[in-house]
Amino acid sequence: MTSHAITSTEPTSVGWRSALPIAAVAVVAAYGLMSSDYVVTVLGFAFIYAIFCTGLNFFMGYTGQASFGQSAFAAIGGYGSAILCTDYGWEPLLALIATMAISGVVAAVVGYPTLRLRGHYLAMATFALGLIAYEITIEWTSLTQGYMGYAGIPPLGLGGFELATLKQQFIAIVVMALIGVGVASRLRQSRFGRALASIAGSELAARALGVDIARYKLVAFVIAALYASAAGSLFAHFVGFISPEIYGTSMVIQSFAMLYLGGIGTTWGPMLGAVIVSVLPEALRGLKEMQDIAYTAILIFILIFAPRGLAGLTVLFRRARRPALGKA
Amino acid sequence: MPSLVEFLQSIVNGIGLGLIYGLVGIGFCVIYNASGIVNFAQGVFVMLGGMVCQVLLAELGLPIWLAIMVTIPLVALSGMVMEFAIVRPMMHRGATLFAIILATLAAQIMIERITLITFGDRPRTFSEFTSGGPFKIGGVAIGYQLFWILGCGALLVFLLWLFFTRTRVGRALRACSQNSEAAQLLGVPVSQMMLVAFALSAALGAIAGILVTPTQYTAYNVGTPFGVNGFIAAIIGGFGRAGGALAGGLLLGVLQALAIVALGAGFKNVAALSALLVVLLLFPNGLFAGFGSAARSQ
Repeated sequence: MTSHAITSTEPTSVGWRSALPIAAVAVVAAYGLMSSDYVVTVLGFAFIYAIFCTGLNFFMGYTGQASFGQSAFAAIGGYGSAILCTDYGWEPLLALIATMAISGVVAAVVGYPTLRLRGHYLAMATFALGLIAYEITIEWTSLTQGYMGYAGIPPLGLGGFELATLKQQFIAIVVMALIGVGVASRLRQSRFGRALASIAGSELAARALGVDIARYKLVAFVIAALYASAAGSLFAHFVGFISPEIYGTSMVIQSFAMLYLGGIGTTWGPMLGAVIVSVLPEALRGLKEMQDIAYTAILIFILIFAPRGLAGLTVLFRRARRPALGKA
Repeated sequence: MPSLVEFLQSIVNGIGLGLIYGLVGIGFCVIYNASGIVNFAQGVFVMLGGMVCQVLLAELGLPIWLAIMVTIPLVALSGMVMEFAIVRPMMHRGATLFAIILATLAAQIMIERITLITFGDRPRTFSEFTSGGPFKIGGVAIGYQLFWILGCGALLVFLLWLFFTRTRVGRALRACSQNSEAAQLLGVPVSQMMLVAFALSAALGAIAGILVTPTQYTAYNVGTPFGVNGFIAAIIGGFGRAGGALAGGLLLGVLQALAIVALGAGFKNVAALSALLVVLLLFPNGLFAGFGSAARSQ
């Protein structure tokens, strides 16, 4: 099988290179804070998706695998938080962490047999996981209230201190997204991250070098699930209402559009893609019911013409300055 | 506790639906064999078949045979457009397998949304090909449409067999699936064969959609379950083998029908998806891989 990972050629040092993206995030966040609640909501979704995509990027970008069912873990996070907070009166932050733990365990149990699959078998098996989760959220009405959805989920907070306004929650989400990207970038540059990249390059070669492929794939899958779960929980707290449709197939498609547009396999690409894809439909007002068509059209266009995405453009730039490295 | 009649009834229903899954599954195999890719948008052809046919019947007032004659080429054309506009450029640029799968999934959602906007979200159906019925054996009722499904399904399988073994195009398609480079060297226009494969596959989906719609309903979003179940049928049969896909479809249809009796209608998709995972994990070459076909394909 040919390698289908797009391994990025990012330098290993963090340094000043991450200063620019962080400054850009600060500018976007500041713009959000000075604007109406509507803009804050849109940007809040963008950064929640940035967390989701950063996790997905772990499994797809770094490790070169594919999961079409990450929405299942977002559903565990979202519904877990909703149920624990409204029915059992848990602290939102504790519920978020607890559901992340549950998602991690589920990902480990489900991933252990599933990740042995390759290619389209893996794609379909993970797609099935997402669909099973979606069906369960609809059918298990005593737990999830089915199509009705879950309302009245409290906003984020801890120990009596509640982030009452939308803007306070937005700041918390941006900070968490930045922490998420930071953790991902540190892991990427660790021994663990290099092992993942070697799997993406060639499983055979990675195995020859002593990388325990099954274990590393599983860990990457679990990490992706933790991010997805956190994103699902944050969504529930941010909006206060969830229903099965939120964690359906369109979530999968939307996150893929973000990942590929921003640049799969890069550190900041997922967040860049998440912000652009979230803001774009708002810029094209009046396209409400055309939104999914726009997403899919963008996604197909990128997949055909620019599979490395926008962050891939910086790689071109860097390579042009250092021709001595030869063909990469 | 379900009675014997209920049990038999559900098996009969399962066979009808299973044959539809089998046809969709064959559609997966045709494209996979010609190109090595899995078209995740297969289910959308089933939806389009039912939708287009219903619109032609109800809004243009065409007779059923004419509506069918118009629907099948139209849907086949949509398959060719998908190949030409999405799959071909990606293959030319050496896109990764997951990227192509993702693009077909995106195409499915795009077509679904376009259908939603054009025709609305109202579930549609049309009457059975022949009125009357159902046919009763003991307490088991068999709708006339089921006979149509069985008859047309059997006829289609026979025609496909003739196509793949007796015609130049069919043989060329098989040559592509065995070794596309060698086929190209022997003068088979491989890229045109891809177009043929998509058209054929879409036509199969459309026929499945037209046959099944009178027994239930069609709406913009019915494609995904048919696509997924068709894929499961193909997996059970050992991916790429048309006969296996048909048998896998029948097996899956009956399994689902039994799951409805045992667990309730809501969990039929969960049952099918769980069956997929079990087969993928325990029998990655399909359930029938042991019966000589595996040796032949080596």
